Amino acid sequence: MPNLYKLKFISFFFFPFWILFSNEPAMVSSERIEIDHKVIVKHPGEEVPVETILTEIQNKDSTTIGYAMEVESVICLDEVCKEIPVRLFWNDIGVYQKYVLAKDATLEKYEADLFEPEDYKKLHTVLANENSPFKDVAIHQVLTAVEDDSVDAVAGATALELDEKDTVPGAALTCYTLWHWANGDIIKTIKKKTGESSTNQQLLEFLVNDNKSYYPIALEALVSRNHYASEFIETVIERAANHDDLIKASIKYLEAAPLEVYTASLKKIFIASEKLQRIAVIRSLQYSKKELPKDYLDSFSNEIGYLKSFQEVSVFLGLMEVKNPNSIQINKALIALMEGDFLIARRVYWFLGEQSNLDDGQQKKLKTFSEAHSDKL
Amino acid sequence: MKRRDFFKKGTKAAVAAGVVPIIASSCATAKDIVDDRKKDKWYHLGSGKKGIPERKKTETYDVAVIGGGAAGICAAVASARNGSLTVLVQDRPVLGGNASSEMRVHLNGVNNINGKAERETGIIEELLLHNRFENEQESFPVFDHVMYDFVVREPNLTLMVNTQAVEAVMEGNKIKSAKCWQATTETLFTINASIFIDCSGDGLLGASAGAAYRTGREGKAEFNETYAPDEPDGWQMGATLLMSSKDMGRPMTYNPPSYAIKYTHEGAHPRRHFKWFKDGIWWIEVGSKGDIIADAEKNRHKLMGYLHGVWDYIKNSGNFPEAENLALDWVGSLPSRRESRRFIGDYIVSEKDMTGYKHFEDAVAFGGWSLDEHNPGGIENISEPPSYFHYHFKKIYEFPFRSLYSKNVSNLMFAGRNVSQTHIALSSSRIMATCALMGQAVGTAATICNKRNILPREVANNHIKELQEQLLRDDAFIPKRPAMDPKDLARKASLIFGSTTLLGDAKNLLNGMSRDIDGAINHWQSDGLNAELQLEWETPVQLSTVELKCDTNVKRNIMMRKDSKNDDLYGNHVPKELLKSLSLEARVNGKWKDLGAIENNRTRLIKFKFNQLKTTAVRVNLKETYGAENVKLFEIRCYA
Repeated sequence: MPNLYKLKFISFFFFPFWILFSNEPAMVSSERIEIDHKVIVKHPGEEVPVETILTEIQNKDSTTIGYAMEVESVICLDEVCKEIPVRLFWNDIGVYQKYVLAKDATLEKYEADLFEPEDYKKLHTVLANENSPFKDVAIHQVLTAVEDDSVDAVAGATALELDEKDTVPGAALTCYTLWHWANGDIIKTIKKKTGESSTNQQLLEFLVNDNKSYYPIALEALVSRNHYASEFIETVIERAANHDDLIKASIKYLEAAPLEVYTASLKKIFIASEKLQRIAVIRSLQYSKKELPKDYLDSFSNEIGYLKSFQEVSVFLGLMEVKNPNSIQINKALIALMEGDFLIARRVYWFLGEQSNLDDGQQKKLKTFSEAHSDKL
Repeated sequence: MKRRDFFKKGTKAAVAAGVVPIIASSCATAKDIVDDRKKDKWYHLGSGKKGIPERKKTETYDVAVIGGGAAGICAAVASARNGSLTVLVQDRPVLGGNASSEMRVHLNGVNNINGKAERETGIIEELLLHNRFENEQESFPVFDHVMYDFVVREPNLTLMVNTQAVEAVMEGNKIKSAKCWQATTETLFTINASIFIDCSGDGLLGASAGAAYRTGREGKAEFNETYAPDEPDGWQMGATLLMSSKDMGRPMTYNPPSYAIKYTHEGAHPRRHFKWFKDGIWWIEVGSKGDIIADAEKNRHKLMGYLHGVWDYIKNSGNFPEAENLALDWVGSLPSRRESRRFIGDYIVSEKDMTGYKHFEDAVAFGGWSLDEHNPGGIENISEPPSYFHYHFKKIYEFPFRSLYSKNVSNLMFAGRNVSQTHIALSSSRIMATCALMGQAVGTAATICNKRNILPREVANNHIKELQEQLLRDDAFIPKRPAMDPKDLARKASLIFGSTTLLGDAKNLLNGMSRDIDGAINHWQSDGLNAELQLEWETPVQLSTVELKCDTNVKRNIMMRKDSKNDDLYGNHVPKELLKSLSLEARVNGKWKDLGAIENNRTRLIKFKFNQLKTTAVRVNLKETYGAENVKLFEIRCYA
């Protein structure tokens, strides 16, 4: 089966006039700024990464409002392919918005049928579906679909079977090619550019945007600017503490901060958050290359009550085993956990049994536990 | 056929299969024949002695597997690993059947359902992974040796190559022995076994035992099959002769040999295409409506003629300018067979069982290749498409155990294309990896028979859950049949958790489903590496074994292909998801105790065995994959 890049091409001239296909009104503004970026994009239909121009579109306030890029739609027949230029548009975080065609350009199906008006609308719907089946389809499957469905023990592939709602019938290759341009490698580039183009104030707004896609964009830009002003830190703490899906990016940002900022922030998240965030905090501390002050680690003795599950306790004790053994404060605080959930109590019992500075009362407590649960130790 | 009759009449019929005893006498009994070395005038110069060479041996095993293709290999390895002393009798010098270097058919399975594979696991996957490690160059002859290694390294398994089982010796309705002729040593072996498994494709042993079988196509009415002919007939799908060519970098001439059969492609159906002709053309195929086994040599000669005729057409018709620099660098001489005998079991699988995705309580295997019924006329009927591709499956279908043993020979099982099914069902299930799953099932069933001193039918009737559980533990997959092994102590753990989680709850590892299927996530995936998985028991448990099932991406094919395809559907290397490096600890008296580490792991099913100990927790430290950022597990089991 030939790959797309091996096929012969007939290129069309670039048309300067564009026809819009979108559910949204066209963006009409004489005061927008366009900045061209030379970018390299991978596409599964191309043998090597493609160097192309990504146009960043800003409003008159220099705020990035979207991007555009010209790509090629490919239609093949008998191993001869036509390229139709298509201009794709994204918003500022790389979500596909619309496509436009040159004024006289038309899209075609196999067998040289032209797109019907409803096909153009359908194509927009296909491109707007981030989870389209095309995401996981290999190009050979699309190309095979136009020929026959010969399958046998020697070689071959089953015809690609797509639900009609997921493709424009007869134009699977067009859908496939454009979908991967609209939803592929370029998205990462767009996000990075938006972060780079945004002011600190805009990044702060990104952090609290209801659309969480803005959050990692802002943090990545802030790390690269080494920006750890208190209002940013407090915002990150608040967001991380209340949204477990933001904890990983938040900790990554904080791990790059100065030691005092890192330790204080993680402690605040630990106190204000839930199980998943707390485990992430403890693991960050455990594997941190930073020299954590003993006072700081001891101070968690006041927060033991936040540890609710076995896993939290176990990870916490793992941290103490590695970075703060024989802490009088921690050992004292842990004794309380020996009265509750048995698995937690047993884990604490074994932890304390390894400590070399227990007082008589603590040792007696261990002995009592050992006698009471000898069948489970 | 009665034993004596075989030796009177059977020689000619057996020629097709390649190696037969060179013995013929119109009046002698079989016993006389094999002892008939008295006229042997061997004078040994080294010792200066005259003597008669020893050419008759008797060996006894628990299980005898006949046929060393994918089904036979998996049957024999399953049987040996589960504790039966096993012999694998293979009539060719190499293992692999259709996938061997003698035939070079791709070892396909459920390659593509809605754009993704639903790949077979268990022994066949282990074999294909072994090949990915040992045969990066993707050589078919090296694959022969990889399979050889896979078999001979098993301590409970004896391999006999160049040996054909030619006759069953019966005791009532049981096979007592198989008479096997080893051509290279001129030796007639008598193989005694409790259980015989015929994975030979043509099924000579089973036929000689009197096992009921049929050939040809059922009529529509018998099984209400949509794609069957209106009336039954004798057609059997043909055998194919493959070839491969290479680009010599300069124009190469080609002159067809004397036996070439002229090919013009005139009037050929458009599906008879030449898309992959460099690597062979699967529709160079000849079948039979009569006795396809008797026709085998005649058809082989024809196929060699057609092969060169088609190549002559490619090289010299002027229609293939891209073939100018190509030359044949390998031509098959042994056709790859699709169909001959189908034995009759307690159940006959038919089309509607497959297309209706029937649930079988005794399911032990699955399939999903299309209903790919080849035109029985083959290349001699080119106006028809080479195959009809009646139906593409939307999900995998189940295959029952009751179709894998003979209804009238009580200790005979079978796996592969000769199992109890209709011609239309065969058009899908004949695919090698599907046959391999049947092989693992019957090999495992054979050990249950031996351990319990029972016959296969009793396994079906009274011990099917035991068989299914063992298959699942050994990493086979049975649709809609979660594992629920009561001996698995992991299921009794008070807690299970992963150190980080990208997707899937760690509790999924105890739900008995060893792959993501039917829209359900059955895995736990770490968020980055290193990662840990931990189980806690409130009451201590005695453990000596921990078993894991990791990810190999069963949605992508891993079999070797001539085109070395490497895309989303086919990979030509070790899957990056496979777990490479890990270690295991158990907590004893509050302290973690190291129980071992595995570096360069090569299998989906990973086993740790250690001296039994009392523990309250185990921790698996997951360190590295063959390229994936996160590790994905599907199961953890713990045993005393």
